[in-house]
Amino acid sequence: MAFLIQGRVFGLVCLLFIMAAVAYYIKRAQAGVVPKVRRIPGIDAIDESIGRAVEMGRPVFCSHGIATLRDATAGPQTIAGLSVLNYVAKRCVAVGAKIVVPVRQPEVWPIAADIVETEYKLAGKGAEFDPECVQFLSSQQFGFSSSYMGLMMRDKPGANIMVGAYWAESLQLSETGARIGAMQITGTAQTSQIPFFLVTSDYCLIGEEIFSAGAYLTNDAMLIASLAGQDVGRIFAVLLGLLGAIVMTVGSRIFLDLFAM
Amino acid sequence: MKMGEVLKRIEIPIALTIIATLLQVLPYYFDIPALSSVASTTTNAVLLIVAYATFVGVISILLVHGKRVQRRSEGWHFSILVVVFVAIMVLTGLPLQEFGLGTNNSIFNWIFTYILTPLGGTTYSILAFFITSAAVRAFKARNIEAAIVLVSGTLMVMGNAPIFTNSVPVLADISLWIRNIPNMATMRGVMIGAALGAVALAVRTLMGIERGYLRGGGGDE
Repeated sequence: MAFLIQGRVFGLVCLLFIMAAVAYYIKRAQAGVVPKVRRIPGIDAIDESIGRAVEMGRPVFCSHGIATLRDATAGPQTIAGLSVLNYVAKRCVAVGAKIVVPVRQPEVWPIAADIVETEYKLAGKGAEFDPECVQFLSSQQFGFSSSYMGLMMRDKPGANIMVGAYWAESLQLSETGARIGAMQITGTAQTSQIPFFLVTSDYCLIGEEIFSAGAYLTNDAMLIASLAGQDVGRIFAVLLGLLGAIVMTVGSRIFLDLFAM
Repeated sequence: MKMGEVLKRIEIPIALTIIATLLQVLPYYFDIPALSSVASTTTNAVLLIVAYATFVGVISILLVHGKRVQRRSEGWHFSILVVVFVAIMVLTGLPLQEFGLGTNNSIFNWIFTYILTPLGGTTYSILAFFITSAAVRAFKARNIEAAIVLVSGTLMVMGNAPIFTNSVPVLADISLWIRNIPNMATMRGVMIGAALGAVALAVRTLMGIERGYLRGGGGDE
C-alpha cells in the first residue's frame, strides 16, 4: 500500500475504529437506543447563571476563547465554545437577558455574530439584535484581555461564561469576573489553564467536558450517541496504554513496531 | 427555488466543512500528490480569507467605538484614542513601500515598539497580582479537596524557594515528586481525555452531525 504514509497507518486505523464506534452508536440511537449521559454540573448551571443575571438586571458575558478555528488542538475548543454560545444566546433571547460576546479572532467574529443574530431572528426578535453585543476587541492577546477586563469592570455582568481555548489571560479574566461578583462557568482543555479556572470560577468544565457540551445542551440523540462512541475510543486508549506499559516492561518492541507502521 | 435561497441553505456550510476537513485529514494519511496539491491550495485560500477577515475586525472596532463617541457613552474619550490609533496603524501599515508605508514605516514601528509592546508586557506582568489574589482565594481549607490544594501548593512554593530548600533539602524532593507523579498523572489523564474528545468532535463534524457552531444550531430557519 504505497499510497499510505509510513508511521501513520496505525493512527488511521485508530481513527477509523473510533469513527466506526461513533457510527455504530448513532445507528443504535436512530433505532431508539440512546445512551445515558451523566450530569455535568457546570453545564447544568448555565441556565441558573443566566437567570441570576436577569434577576440582577445585568448582562451575560459569553466568550468562546481566543483561538482560531484552524489550530489542530485549540480549534476544536473554539468550536465547542461556539456550541455553548449558541445555547447561551438562545437562553438569553428567551429570558430577555443582554448578551455580550467579546471576540479576539476576526475570522471567528462573523460566525459568533451570525449565531447570536440568528437566535434573535428565530425567536421573532430580530429587531432587538444589537450588532455591538458581539464585539471584536483586539487580535493581540493582552489587548483582548485588557479590553475584556475593562468591559467587565464597566458592565458588571451577572454571569460570565467562558468555554474554549485560553492561555495566560485566563486568570486575568476569571479573577476579574470573581471580583465583580459574576457567577462564572468556565471550561478549557488547556491543561496549564485549568487550575486557574478551577480556583476562580463557580463551575469549571475540565478537558473533554467542553467537547461534550454541545451534545449535552442540545440533547440531540445522535450527538449523545456519538459520546458513547467516544467512550469506546477512550477504553481503547486506556487498554493500549496498559498493554503498552506491560509489553515495554517485558522488553518487547511490538508496540513500537506497530506505531512505526 | 431562487439562488439567494439556495445559498442560504444550511447544507452548504456543512458540506464545505466536511470537504475542508477531509482535505486536511486525507493528505495526512495518504501520499496522493493531487490530493496534497488541492489541500495546499485550500490552505492558502483559508489564509487569504483570514487576511480579509482582519478588515471585519477593523470595521467592528470602528462601528462600536464610533457609536460610543457619537452617543458620548461613558469613557467615550478613550474610544476616540482607539479610532485614531486604528486609523494611524492601518494607514501607515499599508503595503505601499514606494510611499514609505508598510511595516517598515517609522511611525508604525514606533507605535508598535514603544506603545503596543510595552502595553502588552504590562498587562502580562499584572498577572502576578492576579495569581496572588487567586492563591488567597484558593488557599482556604474549606473541604478536603481544598486542603489538599493548600498543602501541596504550599509544599510546591517552599520546594522552589532556596530559603527553604537550603535549610530543609527534602522539600525540593517532595515538590519534585508532587510535580512528576500525581500532577503528571492527572495532567496526562486530562490530556488524553481532551484529545479523544477533540477527535470525537472532529468525527462528528466530519459526519455532519456537529452543528452547534452553525446558526440556530444547524437547524433550518
